[in-house]
Amino acid sequence: MIREILIILLLGIGCFFFLAGSLGLLRFPDLFSRLHALTNADNLGLGFIAAGIALHFASPWIAVKIFLIWILTLLSSATSSYLIASFQREQNIEIKKEDG
Amino acid sequence: MMSILIDILLAILLVYLALRSIFAPKLSKTVFTFFAFGLILALSWIRLDAVDVAIAEAAIASGFMGVLLLDSLRDFLSVSKEDKKYFEETEKIHSIKLMYISPLKKFLFGAGFLIFILISLSAIWDVPDGGGLAKEAKAMISKSGVSHPVTAVLLNYRAYDTWLEIGVILMGLWAIFAAGGLKQFRKVRLKSSHDPLLRQVILIFTPVLFLFGGFLLYYGKMGPGGAFQAAVLWGAIGIMLHLGGWSVFTILSRRVRYLFLTIGLSFFLIVGLVLLSTGRAFFEYPVEYAGLIILMIETMAAISIASALMTIFAFLTK
Repeated sequence: MIREILIILLLGIGCFFFLAGSLGLLRFPDLFSRLHALTNADNLGLGFIAAGIALHFASPWIAVKIFLIWILTLLSSATSSYLIASFQREQNIEIKKEDG
Repeated sequence: MMSILIDILLAILLVYLALRSIFAPKLSKTVFTFFAFGLILALSWIRLDAVDVAIAEAAIASGFMGVLLLDSLRDFLSVSKEDKKYFEETEKIHSIKLMYISPLKKFLFGAGFLIFILISLSAIWDVPDGGGLAKEAKAMISKSGVSHPVTAVLLNYRAYDTWLEIGVILMGLWAIFAAGGLKQFRKVRLKSSHDPLLRQVILIFTPVLFLFGGFLLYYGKMGPGGAFQAAVLWGAIGIMLHLGGWSVFTILSRRVRYLFLTIGLSFFLIVGLVLLSTGRAFFEYPVEYAGLIILMIETMAAISIASALMTIFAFLTK
């Protein structure tokens, strides 16, 4: 009973963070703040959802696998958003050079 | 109830994303919608209990194709203003005029399309009750050397088809080699990024992908997995290392590279010929060694396919 409430709570918090991240993606004005909203909120949200699912299965092996999935997703999403941001920054510098 | 809702949502999303991808106003939007489409397609395959197909879809159609599409997108970005003017002018000269289509051709086209629709509908309508050859396939599984029916079908019952498929990949590679000289964009050579962070993350991912590929290769025996899925993960290692600035394939000598590319096809063929010489059918494995033979063939095939994917990427982005 307590476990189920915990699971629902964790999944709910996870969904909330995903919702916030998506809202940030839609509402924020430029690429950098959008990336910031998306990666921060979604990684946290995924962490909560992963914790909820791990608790749902209640098996140490599955928990380890889900934890690994979360870590790998963290790594790849952080790197890819960093690459997108650095590409955009280079482009901005080039545009400024052309203007000035 | 819940699962039906999810399925309906997936079906709607699939069609919606496909249409969005085709009718997107910008090329970049097409590519990114295609990613989302691939993801939803992979999820749909999982809902249909076809995890093998889902892995292959996610890895090859969405992952590998996606990387190639992104790379060509970057090529378009690097087209300079003078290039653009040049292309537009040549386009004006060679612009394709709308062809006149005679009424007979229109009629034939319409009739053909109608027949196609009718055949497709009838194929959906009469689903065979017996489930095709599923019963026979399951009955022989103890003699196939593996316990997963998909692997048994691909590597044992219909090994000839799989052998030809590996050949098709090699043919595709040749076709790309032959057409590769026609590349006209990419006049400006883009500086390859040697970003230290990217390189470090790639180094972290390399052993993980290698291990996971090996796992999928072995796991194909008893569950969804196998040579193609493993090959894509191994190929992804090569592609990532290439993107990070390590030219993996040029380290090896030409002979070794060609050996890697052809070993899957040739090993498969040698196994078939050896079996023929012992008086069996072409790919009729002896029951007691079937598991080992399948694992060896799959390993060789995975090496070949992975090298082919790597070579295609390295050749197209050089």
